[in-house]
Amino acid sequence: MTFALWLLMAGVLLLVLWPRHGLWARWKAWRAARQRILIEDALKSILEYTLDHRTDPSPEALAGLLHLPLARAQALVDLLAARGLVERRAGRVHLTDAGRDWAVHILRAHRLWERYLHDHAGWPLDQVHPQAHRLEHRLSPTAAQRLYEALGYPATDPHGDPIPPSQGEIPQPSTTPLTDWPVGQPARIAHLEDEPAMAYQQLLACGLQVGQQVQVLERTPERVVLLREDGEECRLAPGVAANVHVVPAEAHERRMPPDVLPLNQLPDDAEAEVVAIDPAVQGLARRRLLDLGFTPGARVRVYLRAMFGDPRAYLVRGTRIALREEQAARIWVRPLPTAPSPNTLNDEGASPHDATPAQTPNPRP
Amino acid sequence: MTLPRLKPQTRAPKEPQARPLGASFPTPACATCPAAASLAPLGADDGRVADYVVALAGNPNTGKSTLFNRLTGLRQHTGNWPGKTVTRAEGAFEFNGKRYRVVDLPGTYSLLSTSEDEEVARNFILFGRPDAVIITVDATALERNLNLVLQILEITDKAIVAVNMMDEARRKGLDIDTRALARDLGVPAVPIVARTGEGVSRLLQTLEALVKGEIRTHPRRVQGSEVFQQALQTLMAEVEALLPGLPSARWVALRLLDGDPRIIEALRSGELHALAQGQATQTRVQVPSTRINGDMERLLAVPGPQAPGWQTPDAATQARIEALLRKAEELRRGLGPAWQDAVVEALYAEAERIARRVVHRQGQPRRYDWDQVLDRLLTSPVTGLPVLMLMLGVVFWITIQGANVPSELLARALFWLEARGAALFEALGLPWWLTGFLWHGVYRGLAWVVSVMLPPMAIFFPLFTFMEDLGLLPRIAFNLDWLFRKAGAHGKQALTMAMGFGCNAAGVVATRIIDSPRERLIAILTNTFVPCNGRYPTLIMLATVFIAAQFPPAYASFVAALAVIVTILLGIFFTLLVSWGLSRTVLKGLPSAFTLELPPYRRPNFLQILYTSFIERTIFVLRRAMATAAPAGGVIWLLANITVGGQSLAWHIAGFLDPLGRLMGLDGVILLAYIIAIPANEIVVPTMIMVYQNASMMIELDSLQALRDLLVGQAGWTLLTAANLMLFAILHNPCATTILTIYKETGSKKWAAFGALMPLGLGIVVTILVATVVRLLGYG
Repeated sequence: MTFALWLLMAGVLLLVLWPRHGLWARWKAWRAARQRILIEDALKSILEYTLDHRTDPSPEALAGLLHLPLARAQALVDLLAARGLVERRAGRVHLTDAGRDWAVHILRAHRLWERYLHDHAGWPLDQVHPQAHRLEHRLSPTAAQRLYEALGYPATDPHGDPIPPSQGEIPQPSTTPLTDWPVGQPARIAHLEDEPAMAYQQLLACGLQVGQQVQVLERTPERVVLLREDGEECRLAPGVAANVHVVPAEAHERRMPPDVLPLNQLPDDAEAEVVAIDPAVQGLARRRLLDLGFTPGARVRVYLRAMFGDPRAYLVRGTRIALREEQAARIWVRPLPTAPSPNTLNDEGASPHDATPAQTPNPRP
Repeated sequence: MTLPRLKPQTRAPKEPQARPLGASFPTPACATCPAAASLAPLGADDGRVADYVVALAGNPNTGKSTLFNRLTGLRQHTGNWPGKTVTRAEGAFEFNGKRYRVVDLPGTYSLLSTSEDEEVARNFILFGRPDAVIITVDATALERNLNLVLQILEITDKAIVAVNMMDEARRKGLDIDTRALARDLGVPAVPIVARTGEGVSRLLQTLEALVKGEIRTHPRRVQGSEVFQQALQTLMAEVEALLPGLPSARWVALRLLDGDPRIIEALRSGELHALAQGQATQTRVQVPSTRINGDMERLLAVPGPQAPGWQTPDAATQARIEALLRKAEELRRGLGPAWQDAVVEALYAEAERIARRVVHRQGQPRRYDWDQVLDRLLTSPVTGLPVLMLMLGVVFWITIQGANVPSELLARALFWLEARGAALFEALGLPWWLTGFLWHGVYRGLAWVVSVMLPPMAIFFPLFTFMEDLGLLPRIAFNLDWLFRKAGAHGKQALTMAMGFGCNAAGVVATRIIDSPRERLIAILTNTFVPCNGRYPTLIMLATVFIAAQFPPAYASFVAALAVIVTILLGIFFTLLVSWGLSRTVLKGLPSAFTLELPPYRRPNFLQILYTSFIERTIFVLRRAMATAAPAGGVIWLLANITVGGQSLAWHIAGFLDPLGRLMGLDGVILLAYIIAIPANEIVVPTMIMVYQNASMMIELDSLQALRDLLVGQAGWTLLTAANLMLFAILHNPCATTILTIYKETGSKKWAAFGALMPLGLGIVVTILVATVVRLLGYG
């Protein structure tokens, strides 16, 4: 009996103390991983604060960013300092070179994952941040470089934040919050702040996206009214509008002409000319559309509608390519007059009444 | 949609004995004959040193494989289905006494993207240093095809454009001025019709002249914007300084500007240096892997270092290489965000210009007339669904009805042989257990599977291949995409699912046509929910014996058919449901994309169809099934004939499984039959009957009435048992062949295990639910 008891105890001890796979070792590893995540989050927050405010954060600011009580934040700063990652300068937390390198890596990993999740895995924009936040701690610098290459050296994440290159400084474009932007002057959206999530979802619900041109129509303490390039208006609370950062629309950038519409709205049997692929489509998806021949100036014709109405097949450069509605919605086209051209495929169908004018209320000035 | 090739060497046509090869024989026969006669297809490349290496490139669906088959005499499947080249295709032929090795590259629209097919194609053209590249283009869509031609001409000067499908172009009233095309491109252009062989001899003569250096080419290089030109020139100068003699310096500079990881690696490892010194660093085309990286982390797994066949650069060179790479990155940043768009646009603009000069339309365009009529019929909301159902129905009807008689004959012949064999063994005085195990166990299992499986597959696969080659399948995918999109899947899954009706393992392999990892994995994991033709017999038997028997005889056969159809629809429902669940949970992070091209309808080649469907599909599946059925037959015999305490082992196991079986509305014998029938579902029913009757081998009953008496009278089956068994027949683990195929296709034990256990778990849960509800309602 006692022998069995001893055996049991030995078994339990082994289970707990077994090197590397025992419970104790696992718990230690879990603790270490937790601590590393905390350290990495802190480094990233410090770096972001520094980039945004051009000054180092105070421990209080850091506590706020990390949602930690001040005492714990102070302890964290001490830990970081002990590891040579930060130093205290005049009551503020300053990243050392080592700390900055690490922080840049995490920032880069985060933004690369966001790019990947959005472009390649098709995640909705408002879900990429939390997932990237989990994944960023699991990417080695080598793997990050591979991801960077595989994604085609993206310059920004889907929210418009710059992705640090493999070497050199982080480019920090100077942007203006929409709340400070003069009324009536055209602007291009450079960055949509994805935190807090509630405000970000409002921006997405409003149809705003990075790269879009907007104009402030009205600004009062209660609301900011925007005109999107496709002619839709949208209203935002000033607190939310402050999360939209814009740059001046450059002189040579035209607004999307009024007679342009997304390909999915092109009527059946109508013909059109591709104007542009939406800037929101990046990476492989963009390349693919271009390779299939949807380049500016290409003639497109609706060839066929599937049984359930979606997808539709388009005749482009002599081949019939099927696109789903959400893909076609990202291709801007200008309908052409429906005179039968040599490129059209047959003689039936293109009758005048289902032609384009109904879809294009204001012909090009 | 082809299955992996079975040892191409064994299928290669015999070495042409009549035709002397090489220098050891004089070739008097061909001193006078026309050039075409001196083409000798040599079939699969037998590894002998070739005089020249020729790469075949081109857009998907431009007749590349047809030309390949014509040159080499091989039978590479030429399905009318863009983007399906996943098999290695190398062959050889002899022309005017010289051996040419032909490499069929994957069909692509472009060479600029990061897709695997494009990487394979561009890397071989660069690193393989082929003596010539034959670019097949579709004469009816020249503009689109020229985009790729221009890109290839950026890499190599040794190219010939084979303007294929001249007959179709003529029918459409298109006149292609190939002389003007050759002048514009700066490389030879030859009009051909690969299907009939028209113009191929001229193509070969041109090829010969090109590889011998008798033709000088001046390929057109696309200019692009000023800023881009400047950046490219700067980088090209640096590349040439570092690697003097590199044949494609401009292309390498362009790829470095683009940041192509493969080229960067080649630069760092010294591969480009070796290339500059005239060494072809890649002699074989890499087969694009069909495996899926099932995890986000694994997507980034760094491939291990491989021993290079060239020297690694010294420290000084390495420093220069790094400087070059920094320069490339700096230039790239200087070009701004949209420069890659501009490159593609410039290429297409050039292609448009050339096409406008070269293509002349004669008379009224009558393009796609029949195509469009047919397409409208297939995709209209009114006629689409009925036509689709009709096609499916006809295929099933032909398969099931047509297989009856051959199955019967085959079974009779094979079982006759079993009786003879067993009698022979007995006459020889061999022990009874040996006879039993080998003949009534192993052989009988094999014979059973072959006789049930072979006839329907030999009918179903040719029908399916016929629809594939005709071009119908992309339309079906197009039509049903909406449904599958709602489930987070790809329209092409409709086809892999349809293939699953023939055989789930073949369906899993067929998922290679889906180029997006997430959607492909979904299609693989859910394929087992549609019953393959090994499972119809069970379904039909149950529907006839139990469900139809509840109705007056006049309606019986109709009700039975209806019950089977309902089961199949349930299978499709579960396919969509599980696809939906998977795409929102475990597979959420994998890359997802949708592309689908509707190719023109083409007249299928019947010999090719028979060949493809028999050799590449039927025999492939049959071989895998036989490999697993034989041992299963042995195990079944052992279970039935080893007795413990007066009862067979099978009986004991069935008794042990009985409580779970009862809970699921089934019984222990059924579960046992499914466990031992993992290799092939065909033997489920014979095994059940064997255990119920306490027989010593798998048997079948002569009449349905006898079957009914056995199952209802003796085994105590109810309507619930039959209904739940029909459910369980579609919701259980796939057969061993399919599990093995899932493992091979995904390269992951995890996904193979998931693919086996998830449907089984679902089946157990669903049958328990049904049984419980029915019992609570007071039935059963």
